[in-house]
Amino acid sequence: MRQFITPGEELPKEAKRNEYVAVYNGKAYSNIMGFYDTERKDIVPLEGMWKPRIGDSVIGVVERPTRAGIYNVMLTEFAQGLIITSKFDSGPSFAANDIIEATVADVERKRLAILERPRKLALGQTIYVKPVRIPRIIGKSETMVNQISRLTGSRIIIGRNGIIWLNGGDVALAIEAIKTVEREAHTSGLTERIKGMLEAEAGIKNG
Amino acid sequence: MASSLNKPELIVNGKRLDGRSFGELRPLKIEANVLKNAQGSAYLEWGNNRVLAAVYGPKEAMPKHTADPTKAVIKCRYSMAPFSGLGEHGRSGPNRRAIEISKVTKEVFENVIFLNEFPGSEIDIFIEILQSDGGTRAAGITAAAVALANAGIKMKDLVYAVSAGRIGEHVVLDVNMIEDNYSDADMPMAISPKSNEILLLQMDGGLDKKQLKEGMDMVIDAGKTISKVQRDALKAIYESR
Repeated sequence: MRQFITPGEELPKEAKRNEYVAVYNGKAYSNIMGFYDTERKDIVPLEGMWKPRIGDSVIGVVERPTRAGIYNVMLTEFAQGLIITSKFDSGPSFAANDIIEATVADVERKRLAILERPRKLALGQTIYVKPVRIPRIIGKSETMVNQISRLTGSRIIIGRNGIIWLNGGDVALAIEAIKTVEREAHTSGLTERIKGMLEAEAGIKNG
Repeated sequence: MASSLNKPELIVNGKRLDGRSFGELRPLKIEANVLKNAQGSAYLEWGNNRVLAAVYGPKEAMPKHTADPTKAVIKCRYSMAPFSGLGEHGRSGPNRRAIEISKVTKEVFENVIFLNEFPGSEIDIFIEILQSDGGTRAAGITAAAVALANAGIKMKDLVYAVSAGRIGEHVVLDVNMIEDNYSDADMPMAISPKSNEILLLQMDGGLDKKQLKEGMDMVIDAGKTISKVQRDALKAIYESR
């Protein structure tokens, strides 16, 4: 059962205490607009922003190479990324406006993410989706993204900060599918519907 | 303008000029998520008031010297459209009154938003009064609360605001423009419904202790209706799809 909640709404006693829950006078209240899942006893936020967390894989745009080997990366309006490479070895080098994939190694003052293992993404297309929808786009054990990838033939790389990179295959169809998931993330039976939609499209093209 | 010489009869046969009883709200309607570019937005119709609220952020604070490394800063801009009302209220651009309302609105939301979650950033709240008919600061706060929730900004509560007033010896709720101009007191209040904490209390005119208590009770009672409209507006975004 899913129940709609708004900020300040009281939650059942057994609700999981996480970043979306505030305790006031011994009672749990929601901080955010979303759904309360009575089975998982957890809040599923409907809107919100991404905050860097260690281990998140992200996609960003190199803003400007600063001093030798240090690069600023735009992740979201709120969060900044920083790549530090040693200036003595011939590590990767990037130019402004390069799109890179990296992993968050450390977070400073909640909005500066130190990135590691940066990798340049050549060609391809990037789209932006709401960061709170990323878990749904990935799906339970990556079922959703694998399905879209398989049926459209696109390579898809997902950044937790809301940027998705696609290349090859039917990119337009893959984007349409991802945007549908973003729009309808809160409805049930979505994986089946996306499958139907992609197969119908493929059928039209082949037949 | 308001003067005791041409004061109209504000209460006729126990009803107010627009036919409402003393503790009755004007019809309230809110629609959330109306602007595509904004992170969160809301359009509100409250009697003849028409208000548009938009929220941007949290984003990097600009200019940089306004940033606070420990918490987010809120920037609020209340503004009346030049065509919004009759008389001097509808002047375009920032004026003394708009600056004051922007400040008190900002202070209302500083108390409910988890500011320390977003250090070094800013949250922009824009409130645009398209048509005014008294009680626009309350309408603006009510709309901005919905826009903030729509933007997914972590908040302790969904704030609402409404004004109480006094006409003669009667305490009334939600005063409109003509009552505001000629009444004996006007008291806008913003409340956090979870704990009934008062976040804004201003008063123009005079109320005695008993009347003040009566006005507050009226506001808190009406808050249940307003909160429900706010919640339904947010819920409607996800039901329509």
